[in-house]
Amino acid sequence: MKILIPLKQVPDSTVRVKVAPDGKSIATEGITWSISPYDEYAIEMALEHKDADPSTVVAVVTVGPARSRDALRQALAMGCDEASLVTDLVLCGKQASDDDQGFVGPALAEILGWPHVATITKVVPQDGGVELWREVEGGHEVWKAPLPALATVHKSEKEPRYPSLPGIMKAKKKEIPERALSALGVDASGPTWTVVSMEPPPVRGGGKILKDGDAKQIAQQLATALRDEAKVL
Amino acid sequence: MKTLVVAERKGTDLRRVTLEIAVKARELGEATVVEIAGERYSALPFVSALAKKIEAEKPDLVLLGATLNGRDLGARLAARLGRAYAADVTDIRAAGNALELDKPMYAGKVRAKLRLDLPAIVSVRPGAMPLKEGAEAPRVEKIDADASAEKLTFVKLAATATATKRVPLSEARVVVSGGRGLKGPENWHLVEELADALGGAVGASRAVTDAGWRPNEEQVGQTGKTVTPDLYVALGISGAIQHLAGMTSSKVIVAVNKDPDADIFKIADYGVVADVMEFVPAFTEAIKKTRAS
Repeated sequence: MKILIPLKQVPDSTVRVKVAPDGKSIATEGITWSISPYDEYAIEMALEHKDADPSTVVAVVTVGPARSRDALRQALAMGCDEASLVTDLVLCGKQASDDDQGFVGPALAEILGWPHVATITKVVPQDGGVELWREVEGGHEVWKAPLPALATVHKSEKEPRYPSLPGIMKAKKKEIPERALSALGVDASGPTWTVVSMEPPPVRGGGKILKDGDAKQIAQQLATALRDEAKVL
Repeated sequence: MKTLVVAERKGTDLRRVTLEIAVKARELGEATVVEIAGERYSALPFVSALAKKIEAEKPDLVLLGATLNGRDLGARLAARLGRAYAADVTDIRAAGNALELDKPMYAGKVRAKLRLDLPAIVSVRPGAMPLKEGAEAPRVEKIDADASAEKLTFVKLAATATATKRVPLSEARVVVSGGRGLKGPENWHLVEELADALGGAVGASRAVTDAGWRPNEEQVGQTGKTVTPDLYVALGISGAIQHLAGMTSSKVIVAVNKDPDADIFKIADYGVVADVMEFVPAFTEAIKKTRAS
């Protein structure tokens, strides 16, 4: 099976994101960039299939500025292959952790005219297709899709692997081809949003620590405060 | 403005988020509420039915709840119709021939104001728009899912062993979450008993779901669910930035942790420095007593 993973480079999830002085974008100075977490789960899910069946090809692609190469190199170091032209299955992270839109997966399936299943946690190859496990309230829906198909990934069964040292060395030597959107005949205009402003979330604070009395007394003070002061009971 | 609201049900009742967006749609102008009737949600039959309805009625705005299915449906629908799209917004204002939207980004670390051209498709985060008591249930028009558009086959529903009858996490008005401070799955009943006393849902920190004490679907945080309840109770959770990203917009936050320097206390409205194993049974009793009186 040939699997393609479109990925996005975003600020690492441990980064404290700050708004830039222009008030419309984020301050990028000193930021650590990583593969978006759900894309990493998609990579892990695909690599698990490659571990089980070495004939599996796992290719990665991204759209982004020059620094995005580092994300592709990271994916190659984890064990992904170089680009392949024909694909049976596309796995996307369910959303990128920057704008949290969750648009690319379903939209790509729509443009390709392929079926898709969103927010999966497992893919099982089957005769002439794949079984896709989708996490829903209270369990998993299991769907069978003919190939080619697309799925967006909520989580892999295992945590994403770290690149091995040989993997990192090999990835350094691999060529990463680059194409301008215009050279691919892509028209990047279309209905979208403009950012009016960005701000940090309101600062919480001024909370109180309840400490007078034993556990039972504090518990009662807290319950009373939640009812009479916070009015949430 | 003419708005089409896409309704969702949980069992036989309309989901709360459907009521929330129906109220918003009426504030913005003329509103129609449609429900897509099908055995179960699947993108292609639902998109196909909804796209036909939209082409016939030409609403300026299509509103969906930013639920698991609503987000999926909205994205593919926007691609099919070539309309502007924004997911998981927390407020909508009309601004001439466009919308102004509030949308959390970077997993809640940034709040953006966006301008989105009409016609547009927007999904709204459950709980973001306050619903007044006794809000009138909207009249819902049913349209059939287009079964002929389906390319998938449904195989089965595999239920989680721990499936409960509690309210779904992302729409709950009260969430009680447990972390590593519970020490092991054998103590999880403390979280559940408090959640039941409060009539809320149960959540978990990533440490707990990674350790396999609880299923992934209960994880609150950056790679789990984002919740905005009226009351969030964090039990034995230290408050890693990824966890805070998923719950920091809760109206009232209560934290119980034995480490007085835990980051969770920095955002808590009420904090108790205590061992959860000792404090939670007393708190559950106090809640029962207070709610009864």
